Amino acid sequence: MVFNWISPHDESIRGVGGGMCVACKASKRLCGKPRCPLLVRYHSLLKTVSLVSLHMAGSSPPGFFAGRFGYPKLNIGPLVPPFYGNTALLDHPEEWLNFSIDDIVGFRSQLVRGLHRVNVAEARDGGKLVGRLQELAIAASPSDVELDFMKRPRGNIVFRDNVQPYGPSAPLRRMEAGTLSVHRDLERVWYDGDLRAHDALLWLYTEGVEVSRISRALSAGILGLQAKRKFVPTRWSITAVDDAIGKHLVQKAKGFPLINEFRVYESWKLDNRFMILLVPRSWIYELVEAWYPGSTWNPTGRRIAMFADWEGYRGRTTYAAIGGCYYAARLAIAEALCGEGRQAGALVLREAHPGYILPVGVWNVRENVRRAMREPYREFTDLSGALHYIAERLEISLKQWMGKSRLLRYLQTQRVLEDYPGVGG
Amino acid sequence: MFSAKIKSEVLREITDVISTLVDEAKFNISPDSLSVRAVDPAHVAMVDMSVDKAAFEEYKADEGELGIDLDKIKEVLRLARSGDVISLDHDEDRNRLVVHVGNITRQMSLVDTAGMSDPKVPNLDLPAKIVLRTNEMRQGIKASESVSDHIALVAHSDGFEMISEGDADTVRLDLPKDLLDELQCKEKVRSLFPLDYFSNMVKAISGTSTLTIHLGNDYPVRMEFTFAGENGRATYLLAPRIESE
Repeated sequence: MVFNWISPHDESIRGVGGGMCVACKASKRLCGKPRCPLLVRYHSLLKTVSLVSLHMAGSSPPGFFAGRFGYPKLNIGPLVPPFYGNTALLDHPEEWLNFSIDDIVGFRSQLVRGLHRVNVAEARDGGKLVGRLQELAIAASPSDVELDFMKRPRGNIVFRDNVQPYGPSAPLRRMEAGTLSVHRDLERVWYDGDLRAHDALLWLYTEGVEVSRISRALSAGILGLQAKRKFVPTRWSITAVDDAIGKHLVQKAKGFPLINEFRVYESWKLDNRFMILLVPRSWIYELVEAWYPGSTWNPTGRRIAMFADWEGYRGRTTYAAIGGCYYAARLAIAEALCGEGRQAGALVLREAHPGYILPVGVWNVRENVRRAMREPYREFTDLSGALHYIAERLEISLKQWMGKSRLLRYLQTQRVLEDYPGVGG
Repeated sequence: MFSAKIKSEVLREITDVISTLVDEAKFNISPDSLSVRAVDPAHVAMVDMSVDKAAFEEYKADEGELGIDLDKIKEVLRLARSGDVISLDHDEDRNRLVVHVGNITRQMSLVDTAGMSDPKVPNLDLPAKIVLRTNEMRQGIKASESVSDHIALVAHSDGFEMISEGDADTVRLDLPKDLLDELQCKEKVRSLFPLDYFSNMVKAISGTSTLTIHLGNDYPVRMEFTFAGENGRATYLLAPRIESE
């Protein structure tokens, strides 16, 4: 009975290690994680599931989700908890950094997901339900809705790297919503069918609309030229927005003078430790990640797994193998550089420690780096001083970081022309 | 004032030589020639180039500066057919460059040159001099690109070598003295360079058959060449990588 709610085909459970979990039953810590991720999920699910039946009413944060399987057909739908109130926090990653993984899983598992199968192109004229869903996606504040399902919502909490987890789901029969108060800026771009999606999201960003709202709007197919509007799977929309805004800000930062010193910033939340090095060079960027055995994406490994991706001054033309985190961190750094009106080269080092037992979404990277960039930094006159300090703050040795980091090797070995006495000018 | 006509191939050569390092450049204009000196954004490489008025079909100019977005010039070049003559006129009132190619006129806004200072040229004492055919060099780079991200240039009294060492494989181009047009080298010298820069520079030198390299020990390299039918001269400088740390 207990496992009614957790499907044996859940990939995230298999990811933890197949038969290992059966042998362990949350008592032996065989996977090496400090706490059993299955139980963390299970306990938060139980709370929600008992409150949900064929009919459900509650306040959507607002939340909107678009799956990606079957593209160009996909499931879109609202995220709604089974209660009324100020639920904004449940779909607002900008505020989550100060909560624990359990809290965040708790927020998300309360969100029941309605499923409505559409073709991506139905974003243009998908009928009444689609229109209501789009309106909900751009609501300014929590909105009361009533949902009727085809069958009782069930299932596992789903966790993916890019996407915030959410709770049980079921096919949607009907959604009733009261009068929605829509976000003014989002409404404006919705009604502007001549504004390209790219221009629209940059405009929204400069108007101060939060990145999470912009990616929700992109996902709900309310941006872009009227004839080309599409639903965008949530996970794609998040990285598309991070990438587009990040690129724009990097371009802007390239027009600013270089910083004068070497700087080190840091943030340590959700057992993710971020160290950020800014160097007085023109724009160049790298993210190096180290996943400890037992952390989300290295559940059964015995060694720390390290990955890196970088770009030079002219940016990159291929998708970073490291995925959405690369773009989320780049956005946060470019944002800080533009805020200060300076340019720098940036290296982000991330240690994902074993306490990071469940993936919570790339917002974790974006908000951690943003937080780091808001805090005071340490200043150094040379690279070796900065690296020495970083080595003290991280567990993994400098030598190992160097082995992975192209940018560190570049900084240490590449001379610049100013190193040689000049004439003329 | 600036008013010129130039064959599209020649304009392409000029653009390629500069655009491998920068997207925008300040062109210094004088009655007899046009020149650019620019450093790439990472300050690793420099180009110092000048083109005589003889490279143009027609050329009339006073002293002045033009800030040009090279991507726009490339867009114009894509419209040109081989043998087309492109005309360039500075509209001083509106601060635009008026470009004619075929029956198309493009009014090109200029880049503000206020922030573009002339970079200093490092004063380098480079003991070795090698003159070689650009084709040989291109082959060596082609062979190295899949192997490593850096390349060593070595000169000794018997010849010139390019060596690229990766984690697994090594590529080496050997050019003994008799295959070189000229070699002046008393003691062996060796410097290491970032391959992406080096490769882009050599690829940009399209209209040139020979290349003069000045090389030292763990020191920048200076590459000199002529283009635009000997009417253009350019120097590239590239800062080295230093490994022993």
